[in-house]
Amino acid sequence: MKYALQFLLALVCLGVNDSLAESLLLKGAKVVTASEAGIYEQADILIEAGRISGVGQALTPPTGARVIDVSGKVIAPGFFNADTQLGIAEIGAIESTVDSTTENPRITASLRVADAINTSSTLIPYNRILGLTHTLVQPVSGKGLFAGTAAVINLGRQGQIIETQDAAMVAYLGETGQALAGGSRAAAMALLREAIEDTRDYASNREQFTRGERRPYTLSRHDLEALVPVVAGELPLIVHVHRAADITRVLQLGRDYQLQLILAGVEEGWRVADQIAAQQVPVIIDPIVNLPLAYETLGARLDNAKLLHAAGVTLLFTGMSWQNTHNAFLVRQSAGNAVANGLPYEAAIAALSANPARVFGIDGYGELKAGARATLVVWSSDPLEVTSVVEKVLIDGDDIPLVSRATRLRDRYYRRLQAIQSSGS
Amino acid sequence: MHRLLKLGLLSALAALAGCDSPETKNAGIEAQLPDLDPFPSTYQAPPSEPLLIRNATVLTGAGEQLDGTDVLTVDGKIQQVGQNLAAPANGRTIDASGKWLTPGLIDVHSHMGVYPAPATSNHADGNEMTSPVTADVWAEHSIWPQDPQFEKALAGGVTTAHILPGSANLIGGRGVTVKTVPSVTVQGLKFPGAPYSLKMACGENPKRVYGGKGSAPSTRMGNMAGYRSSWIDAAAYKRDWQEYLDKVEQNDPEAKAPKRDLKLETLMGVLDGQIRIHNHCYRADEMAQMIDMSKEFGYTIAAFHHAVEAYKVAPLLAQHDICAVMWADWWGFKQEAFDMVRENIALVDFANACAILHSDDETQIQRLNQELAKAMAAGNEMGLAISRAEALRWITLNPARSLGIDAVTGSIAAGKNADLVLWSTDPFSVYAKAEKVWIDGALRFDRSQPQLNPTSDFNLGILTPAEDRP
Repeated sequence: MKYALQFLLALVCLGVNDSLAESLLLKGAKVVTASEAGIYEQADILIEAGRISGVGQALTPPTGARVIDVSGKVIAPGFFNADTQLGIAEIGAIESTVDSTTENPRITASLRVADAINTSSTLIPYNRILGLTHTLVQPVSGKGLFAGTAAVINLGRQGQIIETQDAAMVAYLGETGQALAGGSRAAAMALLREAIEDTRDYASNREQFTRGERRPYTLSRHDLEALVPVVAGELPLIVHVHRAADITRVLQLGRDYQLQLILAGVEEGWRVADQIAAQQVPVIIDPIVNLPLAYETLGARLDNAKLLHAAGVTLLFTGMSWQNTHNAFLVRQSAGNAVANGLPYEAAIAALSANPARVFGIDGYGELKAGARATLVVWSSDPLEVTSVVEKVLIDGDDIPLVSRATRLRDRYYRRLQAIQSSGS
Repeated sequence: MHRLLKLGLLSALAALAGCDSPETKNAGIEAQLPDLDPFPSTYQAPPSEPLLIRNATVLTGAGEQLDGTDVLTVDGKIQQVGQNLAAPANGRTIDASGKWLTPGLIDVHSHMGVYPAPATSNHADGNEMTSPVTADVWAEHSIWPQDPQFEKALAGGVTTAHILPGSANLIGGRGVTVKTVPSVTVQGLKFPGAPYSLKMACGENPKRVYGGKGSAPSTRMGNMAGYRSSWIDAAAYKRDWQEYLDKVEQNDPEAKAPKRDLKLETLMGVLDGQIRIHNHCYRADEMAQMIDMSKEFGYTIAAFHHAVEAYKVAPLLAQHDICAVMWADWWGFKQEAFDMVRENIALVDFANACAILHSDDETQIQRLNQELAKAMAAGNEMGLAISRAEALRWITLNPARSLGIDAVTGSIAAGKNADLVLWSTDPFSVYAKAEKVWIDGALRFDRSQPQLNPTSDFNLGILTPAEDRP
């Protein structure tokens, strides 16, 4: 049986990590490059020393290269989910395993999720063998409008999975911000302006502050330090915001303070898509969201992605729905539904790969082209199709065994069920 | 008493007294029995013209795929399934070449209406979290029929939904089966003739909710004690009624009906086999405990819901004819959901147990077909060779069976309700859409005519005065 073979191969491969050094030629797949080259109906990919050295027709493998015929398959970049708690949440209801947020009001912007990421989390192998190779790990709102800094990680097994420890600052407005600020969206905006202006003042007067010669600030010194690159326009500020009117006000704030904004949530983005596009602000959305689950998402609709893209907004995807962490890989199902509702196919692929790579500056990831990192997935068929399955995952050239805690459980019980059936018959 | 109600009483009398026939009469005293159907369904299918759906790829829901097949519906029922059927004289014919036809999908676990959108506390009516045993509450008394989630489920091909109370309580109350049709009243949604269900919950939720308040249960053994003492009370209540009926039977002038107790009345309905147990239960070992308890008190369990570990006890479920109701891939939100395998549904099916896919979710209920596709693909990836036709059972005939409505819906077969979905393409594709949805032969959703599709009162003028919510 196919699964049994995979299991044996996995045992052989576990702990043996020599696939990095070898050269590998993947022959004859359809290649979805997420680059300017678009989609090759049939092409080869040559991989050497963990990088792609060529994508094209009839490539010649170097001597000693492993050659795998993948004709009929589809190769795409490993996918990216732009809003997860991978590595900082093991079991949702067990607080001791969840580090995504703090109840401590002293720690807001200075919470750095990279400090808490568990590289041994079972969620990482589970999701990578289902086609997810990168994610933005975001903190969740605690006691302040700023939740802390998000990190970009890869889902590899090299130990060094954190790629950018401070990839963006995360803030919450909308209903969450309203509650945090004491019951008014206007109070949340006032707090945000105050924090920005305090940070500016602090940044230009650090020495006086240290000598105690500066007025008190609303945030701690560490929170202010974390915000300095944000107010300098160097670190993106992800703002979770939902309804159209709130989006407009956040965009205004971004212009007033020259912030490098990214919007998250954005269910009513389609109503103000032109404004978002004009300011060149990327958005992180789950395109499957279409219900008025809150009064701030009354305008949620399935063609939000299509309408935002048509207006020229850069899309990044998360999902699917609230299982965006344990099943972070399902972001591809959300993307498939975006395509089913009018988003061009390659725009959906870019939202899962090239766009987040560009927005967060992930060197060498996101496009399949010569020189890029060999982080890719071989799919049985269209990677956005729900029936497609993963056949091979490479992360920086590392050929990942398709094993996780869940596959181990499956195999254990399948063997038992088979034994029962054969003894019963 | 009106007629329907009297029928309920007679059947209750028969069940309680163990009589051979509901016609049993006695000369003197008439039994004073509770009305078992005090909130009767007022649903009526709108009149529909005969309809011939021609040349579709038909997945019957009963395990078959019939290519190039016609389906004829007359008076709200499926009249004929076959090839080259004659077009009805005064009806419509739809060319379904290249399209797929399935039965209306059935979601056996939904909280539409009891946890509606917007999800605000004033509308959150799904958990009576004031006592661990609330067998006296009925989900239908919480349903808000204007919940805009109903029409989205319909647009995803769901024609029947089982609405349950939440899982905070050991015994959470009665569930109700509804049709996803627009209605101002709950009675207008209720599936005529569908039996009631009783929601029970194992594991973490009850012990967290009540343990957190410093009251029982705070442990799994406390959970078990809570169910068992409830069944003991129910058995005593049933005995009291039995004695009363015996006296009535003997024309004993001392016969006095016991005081009605809503909690025990529902539990007695379970012991009598009239109310079906739908039991939220994740862990394999807890399912085994619940099965033993059902034997201790002499009732049966229709289904374990969520059943993340069903694959570990699939033969036990098969042996007791209990359905496992599962997700394709949800996991990790609590300890008892940690051992999920994506092959769960396929493995339960492999063990010849009744496998069902549910949503328990407002997003997934809109695309049960995609969830089904994932569950099938996971099974096929490990080599189980599950066909589309077989997999479709998990969201059609199997849930119908667990709800006790399989005689009238859940498959495409002559005589059944014309609950049908016409899909733009293979429904196991992410790109497939339900194009048309019929309930009892009436076209309730048509993607090509959005202006005719149901929209909740809530949606009107909510974005701008002239616009409906999309």
